[in-house]
Amino acid sequence: MTTTTRAESDGDAVDVVGVTKRYGPLVAVDDVSVRVAPGEVYGILGPNGAGKTTLLRMLFGLIRPDSGTIHVFGRTWAHDGVRTLDHVAGFIESPKFYPYLTGRQNLEGLGLLDGTWDGRALGDRIDEALDVVDLVGREDDRVGGYSYGMRQRLGVAASLLRNPRLLVLDEPANGLDPAGIRDMRALVKRLASNGLTVLLSSHHMDEVEEICDNVTIMSRGSVAFHGTISDLRAMAPDPGHLLRTGDDAQAAAIGHDRHRDVAVEPAPGGGLMVTGPQHELSSFVADLVRAEVPLLAFTPTRTPLEELFFMLTDARSEEVA
Amino acid sequence: MSTTTLTRPDAAAARASGGRTSVGLGAAVRWEARKLRAQLRTKALLVGALLAPVAVVVVVSAQSRPPKDTLFGRFATDNGYAMALLVLGFASQWILPLVTAVVAGDIFASEDQHGTWKTVLTRSVSRSRLFWAKVLVAVVFGLVALVLLAGATIAASLVVVGQSPLTGLSGQTIAPHAALGLVAASWATAAPPLVAISCLAILFSVWSRNAAVGIAGPVVAAMVMQLVGSLGGIEAVRPYLLTTPFEAWHGLLAEPRFTGPLVDGVLTSAVWSVAALAAAYVILRRRDITGG
Ligand SMILES: Nc1ncnc2c1ncn2[C@@H]1O[C@H](COP(=O)(O)OP(=O)(O)OP(=O)(O)O)[C@@H](O)[C@H]1O
Ligand SMILES: [Mg+2]
Repeated sequence: MTTTTRAESDGDAVDVVGVTKRYGPLVAVDDVSVRVAPGEVYGILGPNGAGKTTLLRMLFGLIRPDSGTIHVFGRTWAHDGVRTLDHVAGFIESPKFYPYLTGRQNLEGLGLLDGTWDGRALGDRIDEALDVVDLVGREDDRVGGYSYGMRQRLGVAASLLRNPRLLVLDEPANGLDPAGIRDMRALVKRLASNGLTVLLSSHHMDEVEEICDNVTIMSRGSVAFHGTISDLRAMAPDPGHLLRTGDDAQAAAIGHDRHRDVAVEPAPGGGLMVTGPQHELSSFVADLVRAEVPLLAFTPTRTPLEELFFMLTDARSEEVA
Repeated sequence: MSTTTLTRPDAAAARASGGRTSVGLGAAVRWEARKLRAQLRTKALLVGALLAPVAVVVVVSAQSRPPKDTLFGRFATDNGYAMALLVLGFASQWILPLVTAVVAGDIFASEDQHGTWKTVLTRSVSRSRLFWAKVLVAVVFGLVALVLLAGATIAASLVVVGQSPLTGLSGQTIAPHAALGLVAASWATAAPPLVAISCLAILFSVWSRNAAVGIAGPVVAAMVMQLVGSLGGIEAVRPYLLTTPFEAWHGLLAEPRFTGPLVDGVLTSAVWSVAALAAAYVILRRRDITGG
């Protein structure tokens, strides 16, 4: 038993090579390769319809790729069947349960399907998992009466029950309130610090930036970027700021005349959009003050990484619209 | 039971090493049975299977004029055995198909309705294990419902109408103790076509992903087959209809007894069952789970 475990832990947690999935004429996932090392927190980032969910469904064996291979801890669906998921847990989109059963009954059933026959041990594990996701006290209510966020948390509990080495989460913070998002991120970070490998998908650059080591950015089925968060930071454009003054014309003139590296343009909603390297921005603002232009506001618009995300995924026009 | 017997050392060892084995049919069956027990509809159906026959027997026996045109109808109001056979003839038209289809037609489609395919298929149970577990539970449920219906009908008939020698289909007289055996056997002959109806409901359920279609589909199919069976000039087709085996018990009450239709009925039911299950299995195995 221990030798197989050691052998399995060699190599990648996830190794996706050249995977393609078509729905009729639409190529939902187009020749995507992703490699997740054990212990890593890996983000798959992309706008709606990028193919994140489709990719993760293929990993879980819920849908079959048209071409390409997927290894999970060295196993494949073709060769190992459901044992491919032996060390994997997680959920796709929003987790779903049987509404007529209680939270605990749902977890007990899923424990049965994990092969846990030992009722007492399962009960203890369920208590533990419920405690981690902070659902204690509600576990004997029917899931039909749970809020969206509670179901999301029950989904995490159901995943932890499997004692996985790889946790796959499809937009885990989707639909959660700000406190829920914070808790979810903290939980993922905590689990990762205990050595769990995490593969998560997200719409949000800040989420990926905050918790992931590596990231693949997908756009319309293809990989638009692949690398570490620091690679991504190096590629990021200069930060943009929205400037509001008492005299926009004079402010713009100062920018044009004295600060070649700073772009100053009228912003769509009023005020001025200012982009440029950080130190140039500081001296531009200092000049405005010296020229006694009344300064009302100087606020960053998008973070540079967000800006880069929109550039890579061409989603900018949709976002503005 | 002491707690130590609950702890299986191999399971504990497997957990400790992070290992896991794929789940057997037993666990999947337990889970399916447990979900079924938790549903109000299942309980209502089983209670109904016990109570409805009592009501039917009481109502029919209170009629001043017995339903003469129906098989055994003429004696139903003064002979409990005839009453039990009358109810069997009536129930096999669409009641039995409906009762089995309520569970078999829903057991796959409900996973689509709740979006839970992805929940169960991302654990350690394979699609085929889950398929066979559902089939087993649905078929057993159908048979349990049949046993309850039969038991309740026979008991109510004998209590309400009373027992006396039964006049068979060839006019022969059957003594009460022999009649009881024949009536029970007649009800039992409904089991093979009932299993086939369950399998058909499972196919509708898997294919349509919709419980309404899964439940109504086999009932409508049974009614259509009944209609086709009642037409003249289709003798070549009749043995292959799934409604024909429901009439195979007639041979048991004739003199001399004949069991040819029973054997044919079992074969026909088996062919329908195997074909429906094979189709359902292939559809489920190949399916992309994109919902939920
Ligand atoms: N069952 C399906 N039938 C047809 N097209 C589908 C199906 N599932 C997904 N698609 C298409 O595949 C593409 C990728 O969808 P997918 O759900 O993987 O995107 P996503 O990155 O998860 O998006 P989101 O952020 O909105 O969850 C989309 O264009 C979608 O319309
Ligand atoms: Mg998605």
